[in-house]
Amino acid sequence: MAAAGAEGIPPERVLRELADLWITLGKQGEAESGTGVLRACTLNLVVLAEASDDAAALEETIAALMPEHPARTIMVKLSGAGERALAERVYAQCWMPFGQRRQICCEQIAITASDAALADLESVVLPLAAPDLPVIVWSRSARLFEMPPFGAIARMATKVVVDSAAFADAKRTLRLLAEMARGGILLGDLAWTRLTRWREMLARLFENRNYLAKLARISGVRVTYYGEFATSAWYMGAWVADALRDAGVSAQVVVGTGSGPPSLSVELAGGGFRVELVRQQDRLIITVDNAENCTNLPQPGDCLLMREELGIVRRDAVFERTLASAARLAYATD
Amino acid sequence: MGIENPFQDPLRFERQAPECAIVIFGANGDLTRRKLMPALYRLAYDRRLSAGFAVIGISRTALSDDQFRDKMLESVKQFSEDTAIDAEVWAAFARGLYYVAGDINDAALYQRLGQKLTAVETERHTGGNALFYLSTQPSQYALAALGLGGAGLGKGGGWRRLVVEKPFGHDLASARELSGRLHQVFDESDVYRIDHYLGKETVQNILAFRFGNGIFEPLWNRRYVNHVQITAAESIGVEGRGAYYQEAGALADMIQNHLLQVMATIAMEPVASFRAMSVRDEKSKLLRSMRAMTPDEVRRNSVAGQYGPARVGGQDVAGFRQEPGVDPQSPTDTYAAVTFFVENWRWAGVPFYVRTGKRLPKRVTEIAIQYNPAPLHIFDEDAAESAPNLLIMRIQPEEGLSLKFLSKRPGAGMTLRPVSMDFNYGSSFGERSPSAYETLLLDAIMGDATLYTRQDMVEASWSVVEPIQNVWRETKFDFPNYAAGTWGPAAADEMLARRGHAWRKP
Repeated sequence: MAAAGAEGIPPERVLRELADLWITLGKQGEAESGTGVLRACTLNLVVLAEASDDAAALEETIAALMPEHPARTIMVKLSGAGERALAERVYAQCWMPFGQRRQICCEQIAITASDAALADLESVVLPLAAPDLPVIVWSRSARLFEMPPFGAIARMATKVVVDSAAFADAKRTLRLLAEMARGGILLGDLAWTRLTRWREMLARLFENRNYLAKLARISGVRVTYYGEFATSAWYMGAWVADALRDAGVSAQVVVGTGSGPPSLSVELAGGGFRVELVRQQDRLIITVDNAENCTNLPQPGDCLLMREELGIVRRDAVFERTLASAARLAYATD
Repeated sequence: MGIENPFQDPLRFERQAPECAIVIFGANGDLTRRKLMPALYRLAYDRRLSAGFAVIGISRTALSDDQFRDKMLESVKQFSEDTAIDAEVWAAFARGLYYVAGDINDAALYQRLGQKLTAVETERHTGGNALFYLSTQPSQYALAALGLGGAGLGKGGGWRRLVVEKPFGHDLASARELSGRLHQVFDESDVYRIDHYLGKETVQNILAFRFGNGIFEPLWNRRYVNHVQITAAESIGVEGRGAYYQEAGALADMIQNHLLQVMATIAMEPVASFRAMSVRDEKSKLLRSMRAMTPDEVRRNSVAGQYGPARVGGQDVAGFRQEPGVDPQSPTDTYAAVTFFVENWRWAGVPFYVRTGKRLPKRVTEIAIQYNPAPLHIFDEDAAESAPNLLIMRIQPEEGLSLKFLSKRPGAGMTLRPVSMDFNYGSSFGERSPSAYETLLLDAIMGDATLYTRQDMVEASWSVVEPIQNVWRETKFDFPNYAAGTWGPAAADEMLARRGHAWRKP
């Protein structure tokens, strides 16, 4: 580990340390299995996390992401107020694929940055990124999202992933995200990603031709949430409304809060036809008219959500449209 | 035209099968137990199947639905390599399994099947869609298709498709006859001839590699490519399939279908779109461009082999003629090597060496494209000669790509040494790859025939292979001509040496 302190982090030195690391790993692999190690890198993953974030859990998440999305990971730990300080260390994340003899390794660079040093972050991170590969910023800090340096950090990224469920004001967050998207920043929001599997369930329901034929009867959509599902609820309402509009169906959308444990539900109803999806803990209860079906739908962890987001490094037209609609919908209700 | 489902999000949602019933003829057979049922269960496990999904197994043994379910559970437990049995998922999947006992020759079977399909459609909401999978003896393919047609099951409320396993005939005439009889009931567009090699991720990756990248296409022709080697080696023998194998042989069992399809994927012209018709049109054109050899050319450009007994890895290994169920005088080829030529502007004069065999030193399937040497050797000539530029596409095991080229050895002096730039498919994408049968079954249910073989492709490959078969049939080979555990007969090495080439030892 090398601490750079106020002098900053010379990228040449970090890159030299990385090169030395590969030589060492190669020699170790050669000595242990006679096959060396394989370096794998398909993207740059910049993780911005608060010092209070569970470091061990985050390390586990990143390690679990690497086999599918091998990356040069630049982990930025936000140390908060204090002196203008930056520090770094270089290490590797290796694994042995099942049934194979050669280790696969990904490189990681850990940087600690105080709030005062955040303005320098862009100039530190960019030279450290593996060339010609996308830079994905995963910002886990709700605090950073509202800070001025976040704009510069977002602009250096190919894609920025946030989790708006952790943000205090859902409506304001949606507006800010929609503004960023309009400004050309490619975004991902884990609050939206959490909806994928059950949006899929709703879509699958309407693969049934009988139900699809009844779509035109729907006149109202009600989304009810409680707990951390606020932005997810607005996304869900906006997405359903957009899809219905595509099918030529005009429905009134109401998003409201419920009570009890954290939950989310969506109901599409009209003309004697009713579809309801209710998420309660790890279950999704699907009701069509009077027939109820319960399916297991565990809450996806950060690793699963990020796997999905890292797999989409291009414009996601459905999300972009939903984000814009959700922001409009949220403010229309004020 | 009805309205489309407005809730679909193809970027994020997984590909899902529409509702249907799969009818498997030969439901007690090896293929069903080892491949089909584990693949279908995995699709259910991954939530790729619709709720309106059912399987109707057909075989002669009398079984109840529950007995069939128990039997299939045992098969899935035994043969699912990387899928855990989840009790709830299995219970939901098993509720959609049904069984009908009967003889394929018996018209009454198809009446009972019709009744079962109607009942299952009501119970499981399969939408009248049915995929008939013939996992039977090849001699029963036409019987089953005609039986379905006779009972009016070839057409129905939804779509009807027929999946046929190889071999698609044993020569050109029988392939045409089989297609003709299948077409009495099913249109060609509803006949899915399955070649599980084409469902392998790495075979599909050849298409991605060739047509998703711009840098390789300029090097993909006679000007730069010296020759191509396609190897499908197996270390095992016939493993109890001696009786079947001695009727087929390596040439018909592997080269006529799997390896010519792989070769077509390597050598075909770029497609205008990734649609079934475009891809299959180009493959068909390539197969039709292959030179059908005269008898003299066959003798110069092909080698048949059969393994004899040997001691491999400290163990005695039987020769082919000593295998159970094999005629002690069997003339069957367990090894085949052929030099093919493609007569088009891209490949004229470039040899495609294709070989396959049983009881070779290791199990490996790969394609090696050897490039011409640099026109002038300004460095160490020996190094350049002994280490040509090679692009190697490994299909199994350790799927991936390697590019071999020369590099300066560190230190004083200009000494070159070969280095390998590797892309390992499994490690660069740690995600589990679906099995070939998962991919192909899902494709068939969804009506995507891109990876299936069309009638004209089958006929074109028989047109190339049949002249070789004819010469081999009339030739008295001195079998066995290679020892188990070696890389095949010496004649195969000589075939390449005549053009100044040598087989790779993968």
